[in-house]
Amino acid sequence: MTAHTAARHTAAPGVRIRDLTVVYKTPAGELPAVRGVDLALAPGTITGVVGESGSGKSTLALSLLNAVQPPGRIAAGSVEIDGLGDVLTLRGEDLRRTRGRQVGYVFQAAQNSLNPLKTIGKQLLDLGRSHDVEDLRGLVRDAKDLLARMGMDGARVLDSYQHELSGGMRQRVGIMLALVLNAKVVVLDEPTTALDMITQATILRIIREVHEERALTTLVITHDVGAVAEVADSLAVMYGGRVVEHGPVTEVLGSARHPYTQGLIRAIPRLSGDLSLARALPGRPPTLGTLPTQGCVFRERCERRMEVCETDEPMSVTQDGRTVACHAADRHLTLVKRKEEFV
Amino acid sequence: MITGTGITKIFKQRGSVLGAREVPALRGVDFAVAKGGAVSFIGESGSGKTTLGRIVAGLETHDAGEIVIDGVPMSTLSHRRRQPYFRRIQLIHQDPYSALNPTRTIHQTLEAPLRLRARQAGRPRSWVDGRAAELLAMVGIDPGYVLPRYPHQLSGGMRQRVVIARALTMDPEVLVADEAVSMIDVSLRLGILALLKDLRERLGVGVLFITHDIATARYIGDDGELYVLYRGQVVERGATEKIISDPVHPYTQSLLSAIPVLHGLERPGAERVVPREMQREGEPDGGCLFARRCPFSTERCENEMPVLGRDGGPEQEAGQEGGQEYACFHPRRRSVIPVGVGE
Repeated sequence: MTAHTAARHTAAPGVRIRDLTVVYKTPAGELPAVRGVDLALAPGTITGVVGESGSGKSTLALSLLNAVQPPGRIAAGSVEIDGLGDVLTLRGEDLRRTRGRQVGYVFQAAQNSLNPLKTIGKQLLDLGRSHDVEDLRGLVRDAKDLLARMGMDGARVLDSYQHELSGGMRQRVGIMLALVLNAKVVVLDEPTTALDMITQATILRIIREVHEERALTTLVITHDVGAVAEVADSLAVMYGGRVVEHGPVTEVLGSARHPYTQGLIRAIPRLSGDLSLARALPGRPPTLGTLPTQGCVFRERCERRMEVCETDEPMSVTQDGRTVACHAADRHLTLVKRKEEFV
Repeated sequence: MITGTGITKIFKQRGSVLGAREVPALRGVDFAVAKGGAVSFIGESGSGKTTLGRIVAGLETHDAGEIVIDGVPMSTLSHRRRQPYFRRIQLIHQDPYSALNPTRTIHQTLEAPLRLRARQAGRPRSWVDGRAAELLAMVGIDPGYVLPRYPHQLSGGMRQRVVIARALTMDPEVLVADEAVSMIDVSLRLGILALLKDLRERLGVGVLFITHDIATARYIGDDGELYVLYRGQVVERGATEKIISDPVHPYTQSLLSAIPVLHGLERPGAERVVPREMQREGEPDGGCLFARRCPFSTERCENEMPVLGRDGGPEQEAGQEGGQEYACFHPRRRSVIPVGVGE
């Protein structure tokens, strides 16, 4: 095919988030929504970030575009993308070009982020012009290909206004707009929220297929563990602005180590299994204002809390490709290690 | 006890000069909610489930059929005479953020309906405050903490509990819960579901549970009944656990197949069903409503409409033993739900 298509299949870039802290200005001073997050997205993989309201997951996602809005501010850290450098140092025109070109973003409630006064096609051309695309015909052709790839009649969709499309169709239009400039890093914020079950399953399948075909590095942000389990390779669990656990999705779900992950999994309504084993986590998710300033952020809801959890924040410990930030899980691991030494 | 027979609702689409197009939202739905019973309606958007809930709560009229509350057919009463009956049915809807008046404290929110109750029952004013505290305790929140507060000071889970407490001020016989947990944080959902189950057992309140997430229906009580609604028609009904573990209608199977698999904890069902096409608006009504999307449809399905309970095919007798009914010419049990890895 054309050189244009060939360029698509260059290797997927890796993304390294290091020690990222994002603070929001509140009457009580600047409070961290994301604190000291280290997260690496391996090239060509889908990473799922799961968290409840107030966990900092959407703020983390916006940091990949360096798009945290006031009263928020990125206070520390770096977001390095292969071939692009540290996104957090980009300013002005460079930053604007990066967004969409290198990093595609499907916003939360993408179905509501389209312009109601313009057809999808006009919005596509606007996108092309703002990124100085010379071959606008080629852009439209690519958009139609992508839409067809996702099971839609491209020509019809481009001629439509957003209100003429269903929720699942708008979501796919959002994905098309994020990919049409050949971004290699794609961030999807709650891609299936408010969609019906069958539509959700279809969208998740499409995300997985398009990800593989175009060799992308993908980040999916969601509150729905199930949605991530279905689509992601690795899973990061966020709580109170921290990544408390991270690892391959089957391992994190199959043998969760952090008490929050364990509790969250127990709290998911499921189709099979013993009803009496399922239960809600006690307490409620913290907000910016109620986050403890020292010690572990999860301790108030934790069934394994110890004295040290009140005073010291647990460090992230990585072992065998799995990262956990928990004093209790730590102790378990060191105990196991010690036993091995004795044997 | 509340029963509905042949509930039919037709919406007329405006906009056309040559006469309005008629869209059937409900096509002759029969159901019954017993004292302390649990009946769940499952379906995607456009299935008519929300319309049904509103009709049952007296907020929407219907075009044919009859609602009978405590043995009294509602069609025989004037609009004014009906009100006391419909007051016994209280609606809890999806969004606990917009359901409470933001300018009123929780105390004020509960006080108004309780005063009305006190007047009706000839109770003293002093009864009101005690009852408010009692109701909040009943829904599992601390009255001392919540009563003086405004809705914005409470978490989503707490707000939904307040909404339920407010519904209980009317001493309802039936609570209609429309997607009552879909906006609640995952770790807290089971708590709300357990509360609904608890209210059934303790107060004998019936629950009409409306959701797109089948798994949640299990948690309001395993003795419940499940109705699967597709484009206004009940296509399968029976005991909740039975329908989930042994679905017969291909649409029920599609819905269950679409629920994400928690890889690492579960393996996908062996015979997952994927519809051939996405749902479209304005589909024709001849034949089975699901025929065009159904992977198993035949010529008969295109031309004839199966009737619930009558057209069950060869397996009908076996199916009806457990009270399971379906409207399908080619019923076959398929294992579609995930299986635990350890099982």
